[in-house]
Amino acid sequence: MDNDTIIEIKGLKVNIKIDEGTLTAVRGVDFEIRKGETLGLVSESGCGKSLTSKAILGINDKKCKAEGEIMFDADGLGRVNLLKLNPIGKEIRSVRGKQISMIFQEPMVAFSPMYTIGNQINEATLLHITKDKAKAKEISLEVMRKVGIANAEKRYDQYPHEFSGGMLQRALIAMALVCNPKLLIADEPTTALDVTIQAQILELMKLLQKDFGMSILFITHDLGTVARMCDRIAVMYLGRIVESGTALEIFKNPQHPYTHGLIGSVHKIGTKKQERLYSIEGTVPLALNLPAGCGFYERCRRRIDGVCNVYDPELVSVGGEHKVACFACTGCPGAKEGGKG
Amino acid sequence: MALFRKKQMAKDESYYLASQWTLMWRKLKRHTLAKISLAILLVLYLGALFADFIAPYGLEEFSSVYKDTGPTKVYFTDENGKLCRPYVYKLEKFNNRETWTVEIRENTEEKYYLDFLVEGQEYKFLGLIPSNLHLYGLVNEAGEADRSARINILGADSAGRCIFSRVLFGSQISLTIPFVSAAISFVLGILLGGISGYFGGFLDTAIQRVIEVISAIPSIPLWLALSAAIPPDIPVSTMYLYITVILSFIGWTGLARVVRGKFISLRNEDFVMAAKLAGVSDFKIIVKHMVPGFLSYLIVNLTLGIPGSILGETSMSYLGLGMKSPATSWGVLLKETEDLVTVAQCPWKMIPLIFVIVTVLAFNFLGDGMRDAADPYK
Amino acid sequence: MLKYIKKRLLLFIPTIIIISIVIFFIIQLPPGDYVSSYVAALAAEGETFTPEEIAAMRADYGLDDPWYIQYFNWVKGIVTEGDFGYSFEYGRSVWSVIMDRLYLTLAVSFVILIFQYAVSLPIGIYCANHQYSAGDYIWSFIGFLGTATPNFLLAILMMYWIYMATGEVYLGLFSHDMLQNGLRMEYLPEFLFRCLIPLIVIGTSGTCGIIRTVRAQMLDEQVRQYTLTARAKGCSEKTIIYKYCLRSALNPVVSGMSGSLRTIFSGSTVSAIVMNLQIQGPVLLQALKTQDMYLAGTIVMIQAILVVVGTLLSDIALAWLDPRIRFSERG
Repeated sequence: MDNDTIIEIKGLKVNIKIDEGTLTAVRGVDFEIRKGETLGLVSESGCGKSLTSKAILGINDKKCKAEGEIMFDADGLGRVNLLKLNPIGKEIRSVRGKQISMIFQEPMVAFSPMYTIGNQINEATLLHITKDKAKAKEISLEVMRKVGIANAEKRYDQYPHEFSGGMLQRALIAMALVCNPKLLIADEPTTALDVTIQAQILELMKLLQKDFGMSILFITHDLGTVARMCDRIAVMYLGRIVESGTALEIFKNPQHPYTHGLIGSVHKIGTKKQERLYSIEGTVPLALNLPAGCGFYERCRRRIDGVCNVYDPELVSVGGEHKVACFACTGCPGAKEGGKG
Repeated sequence: MALFRKKQMAKDESYYLASQWTLMWRKLKRHTLAKISLAILLVLYLGALFADFIAPYGLEEFSSVYKDTGPTKVYFTDENGKLCRPYVYKLEKFNNRETWTVEIRENTEEKYYLDFLVEGQEYKFLGLIPSNLHLYGLVNEAGEADRSARINILGADSAGRCIFSRVLFGSQISLTIPFVSAAISFVLGILLGGISGYFGGFLDTAIQRVIEVISAIPSIPLWLALSAAIPPDIPVSTMYLYITVILSFIGWTGLARVVRGKFISLRNEDFVMAAKLAGVSDFKIIVKHMVPGFLSYLIVNLTLGIPGSILGETSMSYLGLGMKSPATSWGVLLKETEDLVTVAQCPWKMIPLIFVIVTVLAFNFLGDGMRDAADPYK
Repeated sequence: MLKYIKKRLLLFIPTIIIISIVIFFIIQLPPGDYVSSYVAALAAEGETFTPEEIAAMRADYGLDDPWYIQYFNWVKGIVTEGDFGYSFEYGRSVWSVIMDRLYLTLAVSFVILIFQYAVSLPIGIYCANHQYSAGDYIWSFIGFLGTATPNFLLAILMMYWIYMATGEVYLGLFSHDMLQNGLRMEYLPEFLFRCLIPLIVIGTSGTCGIIRTVRAQMLDEQVRQYTLTARAKGCSEKTIIYKYCLRSALNPVVSGMSGSLRTIFSGSTVSAIVMNLQIQGPVLLQALKTQDMYLAGTIVMIQAILVVVGTLLSDIALAWLDPRIRFSERG
């Protein structure tokens, strides 16, 4: 972990206890985020990206158990493994909202309908910055103005049901940024919004990132947004990272068949009418009683029988920062071990 | 291999594709207390169904000798202390010459043996097949059914009737009235509360006033007036249908208010708006989109409603407004224990209370289990 | 909000009028009237009346008019002279009969109401926070047991236990000495002890219901998205539970409040008969049975008005608690 890295995740696993058994939704994820950069975590629904992000803050449901290492340089705590902290203790709470904060997919339900927006934003200010109520309100109002909430003084005393979806997302961003965090986790922040508002929110986030100098972990299933927002990209499938690299590498030279599929399924301006949008066959299997081999085997076009369904591929560098976990791209494991396969 | 994988997939997908009710059932099966409660209720309902057969005596069979006597003593050992076939002694009146009082005591000269499938009072099995066999009873030395001695395993009431038999016959009424009445008030509550909350406007105001009026009137005058309006000489079955209706007529208002409140806060939600715009009918929106949103609350309410009616029935009988002897219900049985003296002298008359408590608890625990199960993804 | 309250207040009057009509109608619904039950009671003692005498009695009391005329006369009396009618049974004005017991009835009812909420709210919250813990099970079980036992039997059982333990029978709120010697400080402990029994007997049944509602609501709220937001913000679990979950969970609890009041009125009647409490329940039952209609009607009216006022207050509280209702213009 060099000085540039602000958070490093190693071998993160998240197990969920359900009635049918233990479901390993995140199966060993490694990545790090550097100062000021935006990392995009991309995958379909149900591949464990939300669980990964919530594991960082330790706010997963009680039934989820996270293992592994999440090393973070926390002010006042030094370098700590966030997973080792008591999930309801004081230490982790001093990290949440202050040093790492999060914005959610559905702004409409992210606020309690019972309290004013101002009250809920100001709560973070009062918790982490100052106990002085007048000062705190001033700070909160300023952030509200910064995220583009017009007429902030009036809006401060309004309730969530008086806000539109886009405005609520701005308010949510304001709440996340009020303490000037080092890392902002954005869990599909624009999915629930309509397209024009999406663009506004994304622009706003980019602007604020420069302003506040923070890093962003951007979680989405939409490659279009990723292209616009991210410096580096990690593609997740079935609880694993299957390909990672800079945005340029991934878009110019996608390796993993899943990445290919994702890029192929994005609608581009200029495609011919007759051309059908590509779709990946099948659905993401449930991560319960997973068979051996590559998770993508069932849906893969380039699968190699006898290899892909026997061995589990690992991330291997294919030049620069670009890494991929696929036997079809990097060669069979058997070949390396002396032609046994 | 491929076949195997396919099967695996199908099994996995069944988790996603399982209906809400399937998931609830799966969860419920894991809730021990709820499972036990379900079993107990099943036993109780079977007891009610086969009451004629299980009960050793008919509803009105009495013996004045056995008046206010406790549970019949069953002996498992003979005079020499050796284990033998269980038997009882007959109770007889006996004039005590010293105190000049009549005492009841056991006549130890004759033994009456406990036996299964003994002939007794005639009845119709399940209301269809005439029979006179009872699950258990007493036989004399010769092995013939003998009605002069009695076995009251839970004691006898003030008319010398077997309390256990009466509990069974009582359960036929006490376990069915509440069910029907809770179901009626449940439907009325959701329907009227739903209409009121969903449509608003004039309908809302009208229904709200009706609820306000009904729920403002204390239930005792309502019971009294409505049950006094029932002609006294109608058959028992009709009588209890009336009682059912009375209980449910009062019971629905609380639920309706809650449902209305929930609907008001839900109907502005986006998913309801979305369904409306998609042209979904109002009825379907209510049933498919809104009700599941607070199903757990409704279930708690329904399962609480059933024991509520059971208790309501006991109160009504206690006040002399419900069933009247010789017809019986648990409330009628408990009416015998209305003063301290009875409790002190004939504690076995409190036994029907155990049945009431067990039933009420079982419904409550079952409801609890269902509440937790109603949220299957948790 | 003000508009909402105004609207509710305006609806209050017609509601009361409708309720009074319904009550009067229900009370005269059973066949017969006070004269017939009076005649029947005296006939049991061997005294008989000629039909002319009976008819004269009816005419005297105005009982031969149709019920709506009787109702109209009754209301006219109340509105113009504050006269609630005449109690046949007691042979004096209804109001004086009611005043005998009114304050005690109100005091007992409200103390029980407060007792219910004071006990069940904390327990409900505790059970939700410690779902499936030993405490959750124990409290649930005690609560269940309380509701599962019919009130009158609980009263008998408690009195029996106290009798076994102390050798004294505690009937009523006042002992013989208290009634003879008037109010004295030295009787206070005994008086409080005597209050405790009805409090527990009448209060427990509702308490369990509220515990369950609170527990269910709290559990429902704890999985909402906004608790996640609050947690991500760095709020403590305490803040999440008390500021966020509890506030939302209160709605159904508040809206159930007037229902509890009504249950207390009814529940206390049965227990009061067993425990010989000097409150209105037994008087009402007797009046209903003998068809002493003005007395019964007035008692039921008072209880109904209290419930309606309770409903009004709980509705206003509900609207005040939920900003979505507070700021919308509906009633």
